[in-house]
Amino acid sequence: MSKIKVVHYINQFFANIGGEEKADYPAELRVGEVVGPGMALKMNFGDEAEIVATIVCGDSYFNENLDKAKADILAMVKEQAPDVFIAGPAFNAGRYGVACGTIAAAVQEELGIPAVTGMYVENPGADMFKDKVYMVSTKNSAAGMRGAVSKMAPLALKLAKGEKIGASCEEGYIPNGVRVNFFEQERGSQRAVKMLLKKLADKPFETEYPMPSFDKVAPNPAVKDLAHAKIALVTSGGIVPKGNPDHIESSSASHYGEYDIAGVMDLTSETYETAHGGYDPVYANEDADRVLPVDVLRDMEKEGKIGELHHLFYTTTGNGTAVASAKAFAAEFSQKLLADGVDAVILTST
Amino acid sequence: MASYSILTNNPLVADKLKGKKTVEYVPVSYEEILKMARDRVYQGYKLLSHPLSGSVKPKETPYKSIMVSTRKEEVEAQSVRIIEEAVMACGKFTDRRDSYGPDVRKDFQMIDWTLLESAFASADAW
Amino acid sequence: MRLEMGHIYIKEIQFADTCKIEDGTLYVSAEELKKVALEDEKIKSVSFDIARPGESVRITPVKDVIEPRVKVEGKGGVFPGVISKVDTVGSGKTYALKGMAVVTAGRIVGFQEGIIDMTGPGADYTPFSKTLNLVMVCEPIDGIEPHDYERAVRFAGFRVATYIGELARDLTPDETKVYETCTIKEGLEKYPDLPRVAYVQMLQSQGLLHDTYVYGVDAKRIVPTILSPTEIMDGAIVSGNCVSACDKNPTYVHQNNPVVHDLFEEHGKTINFVCQIITNENVYLADKQRSSDWTAKLCKMLDLDGVIVSQEGFGNPDTDLIMNCKKIEAEGVKTVIITDEYAGRDGKSQSLADADAAADAVVTGGNANEVIILPKLDKVIGTLDYVTKIAGASEETLREDGSLEVELQVITGATNETGFGKLSAR
Repeated sequence: MSKIKVVHYINQFFANIGGEEKADYPAELRVGEVVGPGMALKMNFGDEAEIVATIVCGDSYFNENLDKAKADILAMVKEQAPDVFIAGPAFNAGRYGVACGTIAAAVQEELGIPAVTGMYVENPGADMFKDKVYMVSTKNSAAGMRGAVSKMAPLALKLAKGEKIGASCEEGYIPNGVRVNFFEQERGSQRAVKMLLKKLADKPFETEYPMPSFDKVAPNPAVKDLAHAKIALVTSGGIVPKGNPDHIESSSASHYGEYDIAGVMDLTSETYETAHGGYDPVYANEDADRVLPVDVLRDMEKEGKIGELHHLFYTTTGNGTAVASAKAFAAEFSQKLLADGVDAVILTST
Repeated sequence: MASYSILTNNPLVADKLKGKKTVEYVPVSYEEILKMARDRVYQGYKLLSHPLSGSVKPKETPYKSIMVSTRKEEVEAQSVRIIEEAVMACGKFTDRRDSYGPDVRKDFQMIDWTLLESAFASADAW
Repeated sequence: MRLEMGHIYIKEIQFADTCKIEDGTLYVSAEELKKVALEDEKIKSVSFDIARPGESVRITPVKDVIEPRVKVEGKGGVFPGVISKVDTVGSGKTYALKGMAVVTAGRIVGFQEGIIDMTGPGADYTPFSKTLNLVMVCEPIDGIEPHDYERAVRFAGFRVATYIGELARDLTPDETKVYETCTIKEGLEKYPDLPRVAYVQMLQSQGLLHDTYVYGVDAKRIVPTILSPTEIMDGAIVSGNCVSACDKNPTYVHQNNPVVHDLFEEHGKTINFVCQIITNENVYLADKQRSSDWTAKLCKMLDLDGVIVSQEGFGNPDTDLIMNCKKIEAEGVKTVIITDEYAGRDGKSQSLADADAAADAVVTGGNANEVIILPKLDKVIGTLDYVTKIAGASEETLREDGSLEVELQVITGATNETGFGKLSAR
């Protein structure tokens, strides 16, 4: 029987090309080469499978030239016609994780080739793609390479062979919303007793069925006197002064910006733009009011419908930004808004 | 008598309760009965019996009878949650109503009737 | 309360001229048992058959599964309020015939379900592929109403099981286990440092084919109450539930309730197993509120630290399960719940019909919608006539090669919600 053919995708860092300074490295196909983590995969495959090609791509290049990078890489994969495609593992590298998820999902959907990736559960790529492609749960740094690869390799082989994929806890992938049956070692009542003992002792325990969680935010009471209220604008649509002075990332933002709009009556294509990737920015760049409605609020200010527009706005990009980061940003600038006596906020997204 | 009304697509229920209780018999699908109940709930009527009564799965039985209040009040959160979840649960099962002969239909009607009947003792107590 | 359980292992069942147990073999006289079954004039005829683990046999439609037992010392008799008088049971000495079961089968309604396969992939999912099964198929008199038929078969099963249990009265058990719970005060003195734990069992109680009986009382008509966990071992709770085969509790599961047994394993070591609390799953929403309020109240009054709550059935009971969990947790009592899932054939739908953040410790018996192919077996006890009409089946169920394509729903005990089996899901 011939060996299973694998194409492996990694970023510039794991290809030993360089770190952030080399993140603009364009997609490159290396036929017949096994690079970086590919060596570990190869060990795990034994004689069953071989890496026929490795694709290397810089994280910035991928995320900033999404359409082209995706198309180029898909063409490379198609040409190699592998039985399975592996991306990563990306651990906790946000943009790498998003790239791995994006390309693995695309290979699966568009080429019909099964794909597997791996990353840390809090990597923003995890939430975005765990439902679209099998994603092995890894540690948060490359120190977890061995463990990651030891799960990714057998899962990839199973997928290549079209075998039945077991439950997430058996195979090691991040739960993907599909419930899969399997037989436990102990009967349910014993598991319940053990779970209760842990719960009673305040020790960590793992539920077998996490309740669907809804992050419910209780709405604030209505603003009683809008005509005298101070209103602020906040956006995850990435609107920034032209030139993006604080270098807010186009995806997986690591920070937010605070900008003064005192005296600004209208956002124009000369003065403002969006830093946001992942959507067509033409209309936002043409007139940033479409995302951050300064012009309309200035009108309302004039008409006396609102008291005033707060002179600072807060902005970040929602694209691939981890929920935990977004929460931390908001927790911080909410305090500033409160300190500035803001009564209400209009929150816009894209 | 307690003020409730029974939404049902079960002819046996209509027949058994004729002249005794308020029955709204509508010969529609299982899912449609649930949706009728949902509309009532959003109008401010309370759900009084559980819409997924019985272990025969939604749509695997063609019949459903649901008890709702006849007094319109504020929309009640519990009723909303239960009826919405019930409508959603319908999606998980295949509609089988056309695959049964008259005997099996009769049995389903009778089971639905006993499920509903089991609520009367409590419903009529106050 | 202290109950000594004597286990007598049955290794073989054979038909014979007279009923007796000798060297682990149960000899049954079909004629003798027929008389016992036909005491009820609503049953026209009954046939007996034996199904052994590993045999190419399919039993369907299964109504109930019962373990024969006999009370040899102490108050009352087995199946109080049903077969024996209503004396409180759960103390003294009881013998059980282990490794076997009496299985009742028969078409009560046209969509009757419940499959036990003694071999093949289906056998992995039902606990009753591992027991020697004495199967009784009951035919009713003509023109009988389903509720009369259900009752007749239910009682016939208990009569036969009790008759067989009696055969063990003078035997010496192969193994003896002692189960003992304390009174409130004793427990506090004896185990001052152990967490106080109870088992909250929700009983199916919705209507015909959806009922459970406690000392003969229809569980719809109870308010939550306390049992000594030993009472169930004498048959204090019996099943009248024969819809949703995968997650109904046959009488056998009540007698051998795994939560009770596994809590007893820890009793006096890591926990003080205080009692069993039973509650119901009524259709009327105000009943649910009352029952869950009371269950939480009892947990509070008993100063419990933790409970395990088990469910029975789909849909309506999900609401009771979440209400119980939420209210018990709100009393500061730590809760683990056992349920099963209806996540759709593809596993992608929401598993339960209710949810709450308080339910953070869930044990699952698996997705009942998962599809399984059951190969054709050599012999069918009962009938396959209704197999395309059962839950989780379809017109395509009976395939050309004689195999069945069904959801796990149809298999007796497949996703049991007292944690009787090892099936789970993630």
